[in-house]
Amino acid sequence: MFKLLSYLISQGTATAQGFCPPLDDDCLGLPTLTSTSCMGTDCSACANICPTKAIQVLCQAEGSSVTLDRGACIGCSLCIETCPTGTIVKDLSTQTATTKRQDLVLSTTKLRDERPILSNQDRQYIFHKSLAVRVVSTGCSACDLEIGASGNPIFDMERFGVQIVASPRAADALLVTGPVGKGMQEALKRCWEAMSEPRLVIAVGTCSISGGVHKEGYADTNGLEPTLPVDVYIPGCPPHPWSIIYGIALAMKNTKL
Amino acid sequence: MKVKHLEIPLNKRLTSLSSWLADKHQRLGLITSIDGSQLITLVLDPQQGSAQLWESPLSGDEYPSLTPLIPQCHWYERAVWDLFGLYPNGHPRLKQLLLHEVYDPHFHPLRTIARLPEIVSATQRKYEFLKVEGEGVYEVPVGPIHAGIIEPGHFRLSCLGEEILNLEIRLGYLHRGIEKQLSKIPWQKARFLAEAASSDTAAANALAHAQAMESLVQIQAPPKAQYLRSLSLELERIAMHIADLGGMAVDIGYLGMASTLARLRGSALRLADLLTGTRFQRGFILPGGVHKDPDKQLSTIRHETHKLKVSLEPVITLFVENSSAQERMETIGRVSPSLARDFGLVGIAGRASGIAYDTRQHFPQGIFPTHAPPVAVETKGDVSARIKVRITELFNSLALIETLLEEIPAGSVLSCVPDKLPANSIGVGIVEAFRGELIHLVFTGADKAISRYAIKDPSFNNWTGLSIAVRGNLLADFPICNKSFSLSYSGHDL
Ligand code: SF4
Ligand code: SF4
Repeated sequence: MFKLLSYLISQGTATAQGFCPPLDDDCLGLPTLTSTSCMGTDCSACANICPTKAIQVLCQAEGSSVTLDRGACIGCSLCIETCPTGTIVKDLSTQTATTKRQDLVLSTTKLRDERPILSNQDRQYIFHKSLAVRVVSTGCSACDLEIGASGNPIFDMERFGVQIVASPRAADALLVTGPVGKGMQEALKRCWEAMSEPRLVIAVGTCSISGGVHKEGYADTNGLEPTLPVDVYIPGCPPHPWSIIYGIALAMKNTKL
Repeated sequence: MKVKHLEIPLNKRLTSLSSWLADKHQRLGLITSIDGSQLITLVLDPQQGSAQLWESPLSGDEYPSLTPLIPQCHWYERAVWDLFGLYPNGHPRLKQLLLHEVYDPHFHPLRTIARLPEIVSATQRKYEFLKVEGEGVYEVPVGPIHAGIIEPGHFRLSCLGEEILNLEIRLGYLHRGIEKQLSKIPWQKARFLAEAASSDTAAANALAHAQAMESLVQIQAPPKAQYLRSLSLELERIAMHIADLGGMAVDIGYLGMASTLARLRGSALRLADLLTGTRFQRGFILPGGVHKDPDKQLSTIRHETHKLKVSLEPVITLFVENSSAQERMETIGRVSPSLARDFGLVGIAGRASGIAYDTRQHFPQGIFPTHAPPVAVETKGDVSARIKVRITELFNSLALIETLLEEIPAGSVLSCVPDKLPANSIGVGIVEAFRGELIHLVFTGADKAISRYAIKDPSFNNWTGLSIAVRGNLLADFPICNKSFSLSYSGHDL
């Protein structure tokens, strides 16, 4: 016991400073669009290579337009590497969650708003509230491990007032990972029904937003939305722990609570 | 890897498989079908590093079950029933495995041939748990949604007092139809789905996929890529072994240890991030090689790996030398070597019960013919043996990474991959994932497209091991037993 204590003390603080900083340069991150004009349907390289059909290239009268659905994207970075014009570039921000599904869909005519949705004022707000969350997994376990990692000594989301609870009865928010196939829909609904109102639902990961890599299978793996109403969408396959913490912080801003 | 394709008539399956398994080094790889008109049995000879694929043509929808005599067939036969509607006549406890009641009873997603009408009534999706009867016996149902942050599955524990008499495990909640999708989507994009079969095993799944596809199109990844793939595979093993040790520390209430291990797992994930660009190494390994050349990061990785090793050593010593931790783990959750063999346990669960089988040694690919670490074996088969195997492997992998980083050759990281698959061929990839033997098996049809993609996760073998291990143990020891197996729900359910 004492040996462990003295070891722990000798290790100092491991917790990361700051709040949802961008990822390191060598990470893949998620793609985003720029205003650099694109070759349109003559190229379509990005749309052809995307494994999840997240990109559409449309030819328009005045030049071409690209739409990128970050809610379908798994962050493989292939489109960024293939794009010859620099229309699609890497975005290392971890502040990627949104409260509206359509805000995840970027287009060259509607670029991502670079202003953080959470301002400094909001950060204070985070520290004034607490949120009890219940996690239900219906996916491949990477998203779950990243939620777990959000609570580890490095990211330590409890310091922001976020607590993982074991029962839906004690939860304010339901965090759902995975594409919600047929086998889990009933259990998930019952878990949600067991929560008292007001209750929020957070979709963690591309699968739970759109089905991701699982989309269109016979097991109805098209995401959470057909089963439950969603309040916050956290994209990524899996999202980085900072992205998850950011998404939960967004949920804390919700006026329903 | 090449497999020998043989035809074994249905009435010879039992004798062939029994005599194959009579040699205690030989193994059953998996049982499945391609389209419902045959049974496929993949058998492995780890001593020779060779495999045979037995094809048994079927004339109807029924076949004699092998389970009564070869118990490790039990889940395969259930899965084949669900997915293909083939009825294993004589299976002692036939019930659905992957497709729950919400699916139509006549729905068999992987069957592509027409169905004979007379067997339809045999297919029932209603699930009944085994009833353990007697005075004072009560049931504890757990799941499908668990208290922690973990995948879903249902445990039905029948107990007498504090003692567990029987554990029945019901899975399938995570069934996502991955195998079917893998034969529908363009094969060049299939790798992203293949690695999401179970993403804590993303590197191993991607590697098994790559090996299977490479054996189909008969290409090899360049030497540098072979090194990078092994780095990736071993980093995944390190991160997950640390995570599992940490999980066990949580279950015995050793929280300072748990948080330290969580922090060190973070360092391992950082290494993975440096190597591949993501913490779970998604999209890194692909048919033909690897996706990017992390040359610039290698010296940082070398430095950080060394740091991780130095930090881990004292922590692990504290873990194993803590006598109250030891007492919580010794003699608990025992699986005898003979049962481990009968049920074909793999990976840590098998090695902790004396089965010296590690596919890095026995089916070596890439750099492993010369670099496979020694097989870590224990004989007691209890929780503590599984921890010991994990710890030995953890340090073996760290040492291996250091060697690989010393030796890594220069050159390209991606070979040219043909854009057409050969017709009527078989590809197989066998990889030692952190949980054990992982198999990807691919068949192509006359149309040069994938006709069947089968995945056998190590947990498919090992879930039964958990049921065996907890019998006669205290209910309070169930969590630690469970964690010591570290089983995948998503890899099993697919
Ligand atoms: S990064 Fe996203 S949008 Fe781009 S190809 Fe990959 S999945 Fe598609
Ligand atoms: S979003 Fe990606 S990481 Fe998360 S459950 Fe789905 S496949 Fe797994």
